[in-house]
Amino acid sequence: MSDVGANKLAKTSLHEEHIRLDGKMVPFAGFDMPVQYSAGALKEYHVVRDDGAGLFDISHMGQVRVTGADSLKFLQYVTTNDVSKVVDGQVQYSGLLNTEGTFIDDITTYRISGNEYYLCINAANRHKDVAHLQEKAAHFDVAVADESDDTTLLALQGAKAQSMLQPLVDTDLESIGYYKFAQVHVNRKTAIISRTGYTGEDGFEIYIPNSIAVEVWRQLLAGGAGPIGLAARDMLRTEMGYALYGHEISAAVTPVEAKLMWITRLEKGDFIGRNAVIARKAEGPKKRLIALKLTGRGIPREHYKVYVDGKESGEITSGMHSPMAGGVALAYVKPEHAESGELSVVIRNKHVPAERTTTPFVRSNVRR
Amino acid sequence: MTIPVDLKYTKEHEWVRIEGDVATFGISDHAQEALGDIVFVELPEVGRTVDAGEACAVVESVKAVSDMYAPVAGEVIEVNEALESSPEQVNTNPYGTGWIAKVKMSGDTAELLSDDEYNTFLEE
Repeated sequence: MSDVGANKLAKTSLHEEHIRLDGKMVPFAGFDMPVQYSAGALKEYHVVRDDGAGLFDISHMGQVRVTGADSLKFLQYVTTNDVSKVVDGQVQYSGLLNTEGTFIDDITTYRISGNEYYLCINAANRHKDVAHLQEKAAHFDVAVADESDDTTLLALQGAKAQSMLQPLVDTDLESIGYYKFAQVHVNRKTAIISRTGYTGEDGFEIYIPNSIAVEVWRQLLAGGAGPIGLAARDMLRTEMGYALYGHEISAAVTPVEAKLMWITRLEKGDFIGRNAVIARKAEGPKKRLIALKLTGRGIPREHYKVYVDGKESGEITSGMHSPMAGGVALAYVKPEHAESGELSVVIRNKHVPAERTTTPFVRSNVRR
Repeated sequence: MTIPVDLKYTKEHEWVRIEGDVATFGISDHAQEALGDIVFVELPEVGRTVDAGEACAVVESVKAVSDMYAPVAGEVIEVNEALESSPEQVNTNPYGTGWIAKVKMSGDTAELLSDDEYNTFLEE
């Protein structure tokens, strides 16, 4: 989507639609985005969790197309996951590391063909990512094109997502499996649709040209989808325990700390950050990510301190009041406290007891 | 947005109902709307003595934590424990079942705003 200078907030192609729907607009990653609509965050959350489908404008996210004979070799070098395992039409969650082994970004990689890939990157990291990829591309026979300004990205998430999206698409959505995608036509325009998302519900992410953004948005709402703002989106992703850049993932942690070794394939050969990750793995993580649930009353929130056996051990990176699970959070603690020790979270100078748990905090309904 | 005429208000968007020497208070319709969905309320302790303007309760919405200030000085004599299990009443019925606490007043109420004054304050 278009940037409009350093001090002004950028707008997605759907900005006027958000205003029309009474969206409460806030600055987010350089964009003016709806934190909630008139229904409010909790109702929006329930639209997605309970049997409906929610529509999200996530066009602030960036898209990068990688083309050329060395595409696979290049992506094996700049990303953490093993791209050779990805087949045409498959999506892979992955990371971009610097030479220190810490995160530049977390991304998804779409394999269109052996010499064409499509990357979805975080809004806040877009310019940094593109500069990094283009610099590294100089040593390979590849072209790296930033297509973010031309692309509208929608997410349609929830039990009814497939039935609501199908009328707009010329391909049987049933044929698209989890973390798979297809190049399709939406309103006769070329689009990419993947069965992916950030909510723990079945659903799709839909990449369309800006020229049809408003009509597709309106068609999906007319079909029964509810508009969902950033607040509900964050509730939905936190309940799944999904990491978010700037919270669980950052330039301060390696995949060893962030519990992301499952997307870091050391055995695939050389890649940026590999040596640093191997070293960190050998010496042990500096801190470890845990999932916790308050057993006392309160809401655990980002930056609240976590104590173990009465001593400060770390802090919360994402926390919330889950309508189903109560006060739940992700937190970094000292490595020796990851498995044992009495947990508490400091809320307004009071220690509220907590216990370790596992993610997702509530049941995931993604279609495996 | 409603501003009942029989209540007093503060610039921190609390409402106060004065009955004899007892003041019942909560947050205004404007405040609950601005905060969004309330998911947690931390009530003051019964028996606690508060000064006017002293932080005495906490209201948490999905995204924000907001202090609530005692609108008058006195002793907290009752709190709305129903909010511990259903804090959404602050949104759905801010002037009724969404009340926060009752204070036995020890000071005066001269600083409180009338409904007209509060309305003017909101428009400024």
